[in-house]
Amino acid sequence: MEKKSPLVTIVTYLFLSAVAVFNIVPLFYMVVGSFKTEQEHAASPFAMPQALQWENYSRAWEVAKMGTYFMNSLIVTFGSLIVTVLLGALAAFFLSRFKFKLRGFTYALFLLGMLVPIHATLIPIFMIMKNLSLLDTYASLILPYTAFHLSLTIFILEGFMRGLPKDLEESAVMDGAGIYRIFWSIILPITRPAMATVLILNFIYNWNEYLFALVLISKEAIKTLPLGIASFVGIETASLTLQMSALTIALIPIVIFYLLLQKQLVTGMTAGAVKG
Amino acid sequence: MHTLKRTKLAIFLGLLPSLIIYIGIAIVPIGLSLYYSLFNWDGITDKMYVGFGNFSKIFEDDIFWLSVKNNVIIMLTGLIGQIPLGLAIALLLNRSFRGAGFFRTVGFIPVVISSVMVSLIWGMIYNTEYGFLNGFLGLIGLESWQRNWLGDPSWSMFSLSVAYIWQNFGLYMIIFLAALQSIPGEVNEAAELDGATGLRRVFSITIPMIRSTILVAVIYSISNSFRVFDLVQILTGGGPAHQTEVMTVYMYNAAFMSRQFGYGSAVSILILLFSLIVVSLVNKIGREKDV
Repeated sequence: MEKKSPLVTIVTYLFLSAVAVFNIVPLFYMVVGSFKTEQEHAASPFAMPQALQWENYSRAWEVAKMGTYFMNSLIVTFGSLIVTVLLGALAAFFLSRFKFKLRGFTYALFLLGMLVPIHATLIPIFMIMKNLSLLDTYASLILPYTAFHLSLTIFILEGFMRGLPKDLEESAVMDGAGIYRIFWSIILPITRPAMATVLILNFIYNWNEYLFALVLISKEAIKTLPLGIASFVGIETASLTLQMSALTIALIPIVIFYLLLQKQLVTGMTAGAVKG
Repeated sequence: MHTLKRTKLAIFLGLLPSLIIYIGIAIVPIGLSLYYSLFNWDGITDKMYVGFGNFSKIFEDDIFWLSVKNNVIIMLTGLIGQIPLGLAIALLLNRSFRGAGFFRTVGFIPVVISSVMVSLIWGMIYNTEYGFLNGFLGLIGLESWQRNWLGDPSWSMFSLSVAYIWQNFGLYMIIFLAALQSIPGEVNEAAELDGATGLRRVFSITIPMIRSTILVAVIYSISNSFRVFDLVQILTGGGPAHQTEVMTVYMYNAAFMSRQFGYGSAVSILILLFSLIVVSLVNKIGREKDV
């Protein structure tokens, strides 16, 4: 219906390509550099590697203790993820499918969390963890991650559950099913699309989190990936290519994750931002 | 539906764990911060009550005001850099043409990368001796443009801002794209029939139609700009000489480097206040325009 002049098309592609280049070049530079030897890179930083130096990767893995960091990140991320989504789904279920006196207040209370900058809670949380002897443990991260992501999780799940047909539970009620049975066997399976979104969002936020990890974890053996990488690069200033390999290794899971789950991820991150 | 008493109990038990964790870790600490801010405290010895003493010390500190200024710069960077860029790209991508999916994918990638990695990667780009930027400038004969991007006080905030834009504009691109795609087709067709074409249509019809989304994006961008920490901490550490320090870094240094927990708590309360004030102002202005 609308014919665009070739000039507009060309300019559009040029602009978009410039943006794409802007986004990709830093990553590309890093990945390419990670395959070069140190001398190669120092001599000609822009050339392609002559041979792929895979040893950079095995060395980076060892020297940077990436196995440890990966494991810790996995534990903390999935630990918190499971708790957050389960508790959040439960809360969303009751907030969306039931009427009770403090419903509106409770809902608003949870939503408030999205406005709170975590920095205003950093020092007290540090103190709480210290007094509970939880510093340098997985729990010290899992608890705050859960607490701060419950808001968005409940927001997304509640919105979805609210839209489910009212009579969904009725046949189950007539069969005498208990409330929790209904939650687990009926509502939860149907909420799968929103659950996917919420799982992905929590995964990404937890996996990338830095500030709480920085403050609450100082023991090498417990450090999560962002923290570990940051300290590695800080110390390892000698070999740039080694740093690049470490960074690339850290980058791979999240990029793969993103490419595979793009649709749900994008939907999730814009949830609530777009008002119909 | 169910017997009232059992239902009420079930609801209570169902909400309880979430409420305990949430209130205990997200809500109560805010009150605690407020409390700590009234004391001088190193975390170990006894607290010493100073009332608003911390706050007056903060207001007298030039570095604090410098950090506020930097937060404002970051906020403006977000508003002038990220949002228009995201909007422009979203408008362009809002038609299905070959490659639109590719551009959308690429546009969003920096958003999923942790800010730690973003800063480490850009640290490599800005590195004065071995960095990509200076190297590239040298390659194309523009040595005179080479700079100490992170260490030169006149360039450090600029370098930081570019990395900040890189990291986040994709998020707004996606948000606006979603909003644009929810505009009913008839609106566009009606506009075309009325003779409104191209740019005029964009400004007088399309953009007003997504104004509530734009407002939400603006508010989100602003509150996000007050939360910046990772990027600054790792890219510049707040340097050179506090030139890129933002309020969160200022707070972190006071609390965890100098062990002044009372002072640090006071700063964190101020961060909260500043952020809330600006957001409610913008919210009010945005709503008024609706009327």
